Amino acid sequence: MFVCIGAFSLMALLRYSDVAEWSSFLSQPYLWRLIRFSLWQALLSSLLSLVIAVPVASCLFHRSFWGRSFLLQLFSVSMVVPSIVAILGIVVVYGRTGWLAQISGIELPLYGLTGILLAHVFFNMPLAVRLLLQAYALIPSGQWRQAYQLGFDRWSAFRFIEWSYLRKALPGAFVLIFMLCFSSFAVVLSLGGGPKSSTLEVAIYQALRFDFDLNKASFLALLQVLICTVIALFVYKLAPVNHQDSSLLAQSRFPIRDSYGAKALDVIAFLCVLVFVLPPFIAIFDPMFSTQFLQTLGSLRLWQAVLVSLKIAFPAAFISLLLGLSFCVLARYCMGKGKLDIWSTKLEQVGNLILMVPGLVIATGLFLWLRDFGLSFSSSYWIVVWVNAVMALPFVLRCMMPCFYQQERRFRHLYSSLGVQAWSRCKIEWPLVRSAVAQAFAFALLLSLGDMGVIALFGSQGMVSLPLYLFQLIGAYRLEEGACVAVVLILLCLGLYVLFSRIVGGKWHAQG
Amino acid sequence: MLKVDLKYDWERFHAHYQVQIDQGITTLLGASGEGKSTLLHLLGGFLPGRGVLDFQREPLLALPAYKRPISTLFQSDNLFPQLTVWQNVAIGVSPHLRLSAEQGERVAWALEQTQLAAKANAYPQALSGGQAQRVAIARVLVRKKPILLLDEPFSALDPALREEMLFLVKQVTEDFSLTTLLVSHLPSEALLVGGRVILIEQGRVVAHEAADVLDSAQTPIAFTQYLGESKSSTS
Repeated sequence: MFVCIGAFSLMALLRYSDVAEWSSFLSQPYLWRLIRFSLWQALLSSLLSLVIAVPVASCLFHRSFWGRSFLLQLFSVSMVVPSIVAILGIVVVYGRTGWLAQISGIELPLYGLTGILLAHVFFNMPLAVRLLLQAYALIPSGQWRQAYQLGFDRWSAFRFIEWSYLRKALPGAFVLIFMLCFSSFAVVLSLGGGPKSSTLEVAIYQALRFDFDLNKASFLALLQVLICTVIALFVYKLAPVNHQDSSLLAQSRFPIRDSYGAKALDVIAFLCVLVFVLPPFIAIFDPMFSTQFLQTLGSLRLWQAVLVSLKIAFPAAFISLLLGLSFCVLARYCMGKGKLDIWSTKLEQVGNLILMVPGLVIATGLFLWLRDFGLSFSSSYWIVVWVNAVMALPFVLRCMMPCFYQQERRFRHLYSSLGVQAWSRCKIEWPLVRSAVAQAFAFALLLSLGDMGVIALFGSQGMVSLPLYLFQLIGAYRLEEGACVAVVLILLCLGLYVLFSRIVGGKWHAQG
Repeated sequence: MLKVDLKYDWERFHAHYQVQIDQGITTLLGASGEGKSTLLHLLGGFLPGRGVLDFQREPLLALPAYKRPISTLFQSDNLFPQLTVWQNVAIGVSPHLRLSAEQGERVAWALEQTQLAAKANAYPQALSGGQAQRVAIARVLVRKKPILLLDEPFSALDPALREEMLFLVKQVTEDFSLTTLLVSHLPSEALLVGGRVILIEQGRVVAHEAADVLDSAQTPIAFTQYLGESKSSTS
């Protein structure tokens, strides 16, 4: 169903396009600059994120130190911090009158490539670390035991064990981050600083919102989809598949021989984290202790915005979860059913395909499509909900797929031999999958809560969500007040995240 | 001589191993769950034990696994699937795979000894179960450690192959004067390799005899019960 809607929205866009005019777009030097910059910043951002993430992941895997689990949680949160909040944090730290300028006198040219890179690394390095740690989890502990006996140091362990697993995880991580950066919207819009460093996604937004030039927008959208597809196909062609080597051992840790070199490298990796991830976090929470905070809390507009945000986020998360569940169940049903087998991976890929199609495009297409049916602006609420739900789908799938697959692989024969089906099977599986489901729901909720793209397009007087309100405040240079709103937003996010991943998800024992 | 006086506690399992093991092959027998593998893991340095562990009067207990004079063959996961046979053996000499000419010759010799020279550039996935364990034995040869621990490394092989591997282990032990400990759940294996047998029950050494008592008319009382069990469990 959702594939249909995606296709429909694209088709609707195409109907308003005029192919003849496209060739004239292609000859515009501005467009080429746009594409070049989009690619360039995405490439730099994803490479930088990965280069930093590899030593950080290795350090986090091998060492257990005070604050390690806190850091991991921080990483998982920083992925879903509303982009606008993080941008504010980055501005506070690196901006013209920011902390860095005050402390050291160094003034970074924040608006432009530097700012975009800083923000992208802030978002994606933790994501990369988490993806790499998943790859680490695939390494059977027998290998570590062997490495321990043979006296591997960290470098040998990396070269002979870790690298062969990371190598398989890196292309996937690269594509994911590249896509996210390539279609990054809020970051480029607020830190890009003018047409010199603008991306395709922002250009689509401008074409839609300011010029209402559907033709140009659809052209740009198609271009974006095309570029993303080409890159994804190219990388997946090259990427080897990672699969778990069977190991009879329970996961346990064996200490690898330590050395000064390894220690030094870990410290460096750690400093990177300190520089990139921590300060914006601290900066975000800083205004909590000012008097302005209480004043802002009293304003009516803030609470209206909270309400709107919740009204969007909850239905969106539900829809996303339902979509994700049906994907999982379908894909799983196809698994191991002979001819249908290939469909299971195909379905997952379709879910990830959404990353390639910019949210703005889906939103616009949907809007145009609905307009043809005579539904007009009153339906924009549902468009926002729907698009948010679809945008969260890849993340929901990432959370749930591995868990559901594992269940299927381990217990398929047991279930079929006992004749456990449908509802009774759900009941048996629930304790095992609930943490993954809760995690997925929490992610979807947070993504919709922090969404800036779709709401920027469709937001009107009556519909100002919290991130949009924040954006307006920043736009009006009411940074102080904005910072306070940011605190409210992030506290809301954290609260809901903890609520759902812990209480619905239950304890982590289910993971075992 | 390997002197063992080790305690280890894990939930409701309290082990206390006291035994002195001489050069040559010693087979560890015992029903599953009685703590055979635990003893091996303690010796290898993969579990933290308390007490005394001396080899030729040198204390080993404080050393990490890679500094102990020990090579271990596990039931599985002895090889790195991402490395070739040659690399898997050579990594026993140098964790960085930087070998001197003399070390390179030793690797070649070990592959020769285990009849793997033709497979040097193959990856473990391309090997049969017996070949894979022979690679692990080749690594034992290049490491030149005086103690060899084997944790049922051949239990997944079919009987004829298993016999062949046990003879290889026996030969290696004799040729290089190793102190070899073999964990097994088959008394027949102990008879095959000879040497001595140790019976382990509830984390304790309850008997330590020459292997041939298992076959003789006067089997010690400690063994009769275990043998009865294992006979009934195999039938």
